[in-house]
Amino acid sequence: MNVHQATDLFRRVLENPRVSEQDDFFHLGGDSLLATRVLSAVAREHGVELTFEDFLLAPTPAALASTVTGAPR
Amino acid sequence: MSVVVIGAGLAGLTAATDLATAGVETTVLEARDRVGGRTHGIEVAPGAWADAGAAYLGDRHTELHKLLAGLGLSATPTAMWGGSRFALGSGEKTRAGRFPPLNAVALGELFDLLHGLTARVRPDAPWRTPDAAALDTVTAAEWAAGNLRHPDARLFFPLFLGEMMAADPASVSVLHMALYLRSGGGIRYLNAFAGGAQQDRVLGGAHQVAERLAAQLGTRIRLNRPVHAIHQQDGRVSVHTGTGEQHHGDAVVVAVPPVLAQAIDYRPGLPAPRATPATGRGCAVKVQIVYREPYWHAHGLSGWSVSATGPLLSTVDDSPPGGGAGVLTGFVTGAEAYRFAALDPAAREAEALHQVAELFPRLPAPVAVHVTDWVNEPYSRGCYAAVFGPGDWSRLGPHLSTPHGRVHWAGTETSTEFFGLMEGAIRSGHRVAAEILSSHETARRKR
Repeated sequence: MNVHQATDLFRRVLENPRVSEQDDFFHLGGDSLLATRVLSAVAREHGVELTFEDFLLAPTPAALASTVTGAPR
Repeated sequence: MSVVVIGAGLAGLTAATDLATAGVETTVLEARDRVGGRTHGIEVAPGAWADAGAAYLGDRHTELHKLLAGLGLSATPTAMWGGSRFALGSGEKTRAGRFPPLNAVALGELFDLLHGLTARVRPDAPWRTPDAAALDTVTAAEWAAGNLRHPDARLFFPLFLGEMMAADPASVSVLHMALYLRSGGGIRYLNAFAGGAQQDRVLGGAHQVAERLAAQLGTRIRLNRPVHAIHQQDGRVSVHTGTGEQHHGDAVVVAVPPVLAQAIDYRPGLPAPRATPATGRGCAVKVQIVYREPYWHAHGLSGWSVSATGPLLSTVDDSPPGGGAGVLTGFVTGAEAYRFAALDPAAREAEALHQVAELFPRLPAPVAVHVTDWVNEPYSRGCYAAVFGPGDWSRLGPHLSTPHGRVHWAGTETSTEFFGLMEGAIRSGHRVAAEILSSHETARRKR
């Protein structure tokens, strides 16, 4: 998963076209319910299952992309 | 012009207020010995109140906010800080925040599916949704069995539906589930406390809205007047009460839940029903456990809990913001509400306290327990709102707000905006008053 894909995913789930790479999901109105929709998309599109706690540690597109890329498949 | 309004809940009182303000001679007939309908306050300590019925509001509930401001009432933020407690199988018992100890990807798949359904439904006219007929023949339980693969999604779905709309998945149609979730602002908004539909409560209790509206309406309100029949003849309407009275008007507003509206005798008869045998009750029993103070805060807990087994499927801190008491409110929803409501009062209290002792083991004994059974409440027949079953939107939907001659309809179930919420009730009240005032204007101009 690259950072552009992660940014697009945030935009889709938050229904907000103005998300940039360093934006914190939870500062843009994201909450735990929407976070699970990011995680289901990551699993579906990139084959990596992250936990909610993984996402709390990587709540920006840049951080999420590097977590997914570094995760075992 | 004179209008008889049936039902002194938020819808009826809003309509009556608009009509009276416009100079219409207005009478409100209420079956109970109190106003407020599905809002009801309990005094948990001297001068401190908790909501035994509808409680929450968010920023999008603009008509409710306007009403509060006009009545000199205010909203107060829902407190939600500290850890949560869970009893969901083998998962962790205590966690920071509200996220349950369940597979996040599985819950995400569930919410993706629900989001897809809510995006598909036509919010203004659900029965015109492409595929409406198919969505309206399937129950949410059948839908879940066919679509949810992960056990955590299957475990969480009925709890979520219970919390969101007090529905038993086996009796709600998928079309209604989609409409309800869409109408309330979507799954994120409806689920959220801060930034969502549970952001605030009414300071001092939501029951004050109806009480203050009623105080302004004064003697126009007649309590203990259950309505049995509505007859239209020669351009007039007569309303017959169980107390043997007749009230006459140029128009009538029926502002009671659909199942109760259906039980009234109409002459001429209704061209379309208000409810069908499939129309279910919102299944909610609210249990309020009162302590001297919110002791759970000292243990680092918010009071929020979610359990897979009843009776209290969730609990939330409902303490009055000014202090004076600690209130833990438990929600018994869905199919569990029927079982719990059928127990005798001592058994209900024992079950609730046993569960609270497991969830919050270090609490001292409570000072009071209040159980409010909305399922069997004869003049509500369920709460939060009627639960439309298979086929209901197709049959009832097109006629929900269509007048039957001089009989007009209000109530949260007639509002496709914020269906089931206080906001929907208030919007329906404004809508029906405007409808009557404009049809009367038209009639006068024709003369």
